[in-house]
Amino acid sequence: MDLLAQYVMNGVMLGLMYALVAIGFTLFFGVLNVIQFAHGDVLTAGAFAGLASYAVVVQAGVASPLPQLVTVALAATLSMAVLGAVLGRVLVLPLKAAPALNVLLATLMGGTALRESIRLFYPGGSQPQRFPTLLPTSSWSLGRFALRLDNLLMLAAGAVLVVALSLVLQRTRLGLAIRAVAQDEETARTMGIDFRRVVLLTFAIGSALAAFAGVMNGLYYAEVNFGSGLLLGVIGFSAAVLGGLGSFSGALLGGFLFAALQTVGAVALPFASAYKDVFAFGAVILLMTWKPTGLIGEQLSERV
Amino acid sequence: MSEAAPLLVCRDLTRHFGGLVALEGLDLELRKGEILGLIGPNGSGKTTFFNVLTGLYPPTRGEVLFAGESLTGVGPQAVYRAGITRTFQRSRLCLELSIFDNLAIGAHRLLDHGLWLNLLGRDALARQADATAAAARELLHVFDPPLAARLFEPTAGIPMIDRRRVEICRALMSHPRLLLLDEPSAGMTAEETAHLMDDILEVRRRFGDLTIVLIEHEMAVIARVTDRCLVLNYGRKLCQGTYAEVSADAEVRRAYLGLT
Amino acid sequence: MRFAPARVRPALAAAAIAAPSVLALYAFLSAESGTRVSLVLAGSVLAVLAGWRSGLLARLVRTADERALVVALALAALGLIRAFHDDPFVLLLLSRALLVLVACLGLHVQLADAGVPNFAGAAFFGVGGYTAAVLGRGTLPHPAVLLASGAVAAAVGSLLLLPLLRTRGHYAALITIAFGLLFRTFFEVNESLGGPQGLKLGGFRVLGFDFNDDRQLLGVDYSGFAFYCLAALALTLLAVAFVRRLERSWLGVALDAVRLDETAAACFGISIGKWKIAAFTLGNALIGVAGGLSAMMVGFIAPNNFTFQESLVLVSILLLGGLGNLAGLAVASLIVVGLPEKLQTIQEYRYLLFSVLVVLVLVLRPAGLIRRAVRRPFGSVLP
Repeated sequence: MDLLAQYVMNGVMLGLMYALVAIGFTLFFGVLNVIQFAHGDVLTAGAFAGLASYAVVVQAGVASPLPQLVTVALAATLSMAVLGAVLGRVLVLPLKAAPALNVLLATLMGGTALRESIRLFYPGGSQPQRFPTLLPTSSWSLGRFALRLDNLLMLAAGAVLVVALSLVLQRTRLGLAIRAVAQDEETARTMGIDFRRVVLLTFAIGSALAAFAGVMNGLYYAEVNFGSGLLLGVIGFSAAVLGGLGSFSGALLGGFLFAALQTVGAVALPFASAYKDVFAFGAVILLMTWKPTGLIGEQLSERV
Repeated sequence: MSEAAPLLVCRDLTRHFGGLVALEGLDLELRKGEILGLIGPNGSGKTTFFNVLTGLYPPTRGEVLFAGESLTGVGPQAVYRAGITRTFQRSRLCLELSIFDNLAIGAHRLLDHGLWLNLLGRDALARQADATAAAARELLHVFDPPLAARLFEPTAGIPMIDRRRVEICRALMSHPRLLLLDEPSAGMTAEETAHLMDDILEVRRRFGDLTIVLIEHEMAVIARVTDRCLVLNYGRKLCQGTYAEVSADAEVRRAYLGLT
Repeated sequence: MRFAPARVRPALAAAAIAAPSVLALYAFLSAESGTRVSLVLAGSVLAVLAGWRSGLLARLVRTADERALVVALALAALGLIRAFHDDPFVLLLLSRALLVLVACLGLHVQLADAGVPNFAGAAFFGVGGYTAAVLGRGTLPHPAVLLASGAVAAAVGSLLLLPLLRTRGHYAALITIAFGLLFRTFFEVNESLGGPQGLKLGGFRVLGFDFNDDRQLLGVDYSGFAFYCLAALALTLLAVAFVRRLERSWLGVALDAVRLDETAAACFGISIGKWKIAAFTLGNALIGVAGGLSAMMVGFIAPNNFTFQESLVLVSILLLGGLGNLAGLAVASLIVVGLPEKLQTIQEYRYLLFSVLVVLVLVLRPAGLIRRAVRRPFGSVLP
């Protein structure tokens, strides 16, 4: 029972992280019909940006964890918002008219460049870096299961973010503009919406979310690794696909579904938990074979 | 007039896209050798009819019979093999390829795709290529003799009107029994359109009175070229008959011009 | 060119392209210091640019007889093997470059011809290698082992076929990406196939002749890798001939139709699924055979060599050489494999370097560094 609770907690945490990444993928796909494959590496870059800002802030003499946490979170999300917009401006928008494969390749390679840059240029980047503990470490014991406060706080913060983003999309003018562009770029443009601005803002928002997930990842595992973005990116993409590209709720669903698949895999194959990824991806492939455009489904239309 | 069975029969042909009714309850009979005009305002279901007929979308309801055999719900490859080919409203040629390559795609059914011939039997392959090139040149020659001389040039380098000609020839390469033309004269001047129609009629004569369904917006073309026409509106058949009959029909005039 | 009689010109043009290329390659391979290598590289790039700008290169390429060019380059390769007969490093490098070229030819059929992206190229290369490792210990003659490497790689690829056919574009890409990522995990965890340490292989043996042994031929001592180099060269020539024939036939036309416009292709009777399956399977078979020979040459195989990153390198080679361009592919393979070996300083930076280069190509010259040529007619009567 306690083990189950542990698995569930772990699954929920992972699910939230995946969902945050998946939302980014789905937003980018919605506005531009592109898959931004450097997204996972933006997550990692965000975590490292947070780590770097921590080092700076500690050097500057700030000792209490709350301002440290705020600095890390802000540094990560703001820097990645900028990076996301830059990537959109430099890699994605210029390739708008090119075949879809080109954007995929460009962003895949861009992600590689980002990942390698961290490995090569961040001091000690090729080794896993210790991520500081910035959240209170108290926990409640329920039997042998320890319900940790920091996990709850991260879950709460993540949930707030998701709700806030959902509200922005549904209730604000920016959200309306994003949804308009996602539905029909040409019409949105003729209605006076600044297409480029909306696209770049979307990239910024999605990347900021990824950065948050990166910081979450660092806090949860107490370390960050330059290469973790690759797998997380692919997982996030799979999650977005599972839920149906372009669908916000689909991305949420997909994120938690993938985490659930991983958890089931880990439970079912306790002798080789490394196989859990194989299991989860295998399940994704099977699901995609059954429903090629996702469980909720993408709006695929081609004029003949 | 031949008393033989109709070449194409469509009964209650219907296609919905979710809530959108693109085609509803279409009944149609086409005799061999006929040229049928398909007219109607934009969005009235004309191209949808082509798409359903050529197997790109399965019909929501209804059936299609071609030369006695059922083509209801079969895929586009089977429709092609049965002898129905088409052009597209938005020109769909592979611009990266040469004109010859595009025409060879049209002749797919006639070509040998076995590994032996293609990888090892180079002489036999060359002979087949020569024959295909000769057939291609002959077809192109009807439409525009200089075009035939440019057979191996990239398709991207020829003007729009020539591309339309190539697309029509691509549909003719496999000696189809039924040819579907989707607004072939779009973007052409009246003079170019007249020439094109002459060429199409010439080709039709050479192919032993090929049956044609023609989607057109140019009423002059419809009047001149078609034996009969069929008017669609909001996916439904409004009326059919000769152009003279159809253009005098009150309902048609209301649909097109909003007149009462 | 103007002074030569018309009949000799194609052969002369071929020689005019082959000779400086081989000289540059020789200089590149024999250069010892990093500065020398950079100089050779810079010089070659400048020469190519100059030839390009002046139009000379284009004219030579148009006139050159393709078959003569391939023969010339093959002979040149033999000459290089002779020249570096006792230098195992160069011979190994040359062999590796050739085998990577063969693998990329497989990828070429999949991506450049049929339009099926494969982000698990390195994984299929590894499957071929593991097959050779497992079967090579047994009694199956080694040439058959190589064929089996290809067959097993094709078979593993067929597992992905159903999902690949049901999906389009980026969904299909996801499937091979996931496979590429998981391949390494699978083999690392799998103790029966050596786990993270991998497996050892004996060398390639045919008719009692072991490729690993140093041997004397016509009075010259050849390091063991020389024979692998010959085998790799033979394999490359076969693969090039195959791909060339494939592209210049009705098969190539059908593949182009599938790649460029599936809807129109379907309306003209082309079965999209059948052609994509054929291309994907054939491509994987080529990759697998190359992987098998490579593993036997290197003597061991480990999951670490077949990461997703390495699959991306293979795709990069295709893109850098210009999608659809076989000559570019050969040059790109040589540079991508050879440069990090020769310029040890960039070894660490190679992933970064290649990814940035590919991004630059994609953004600045999306049609590729060299525009893909229109298919030359394969009838007997030239226009």
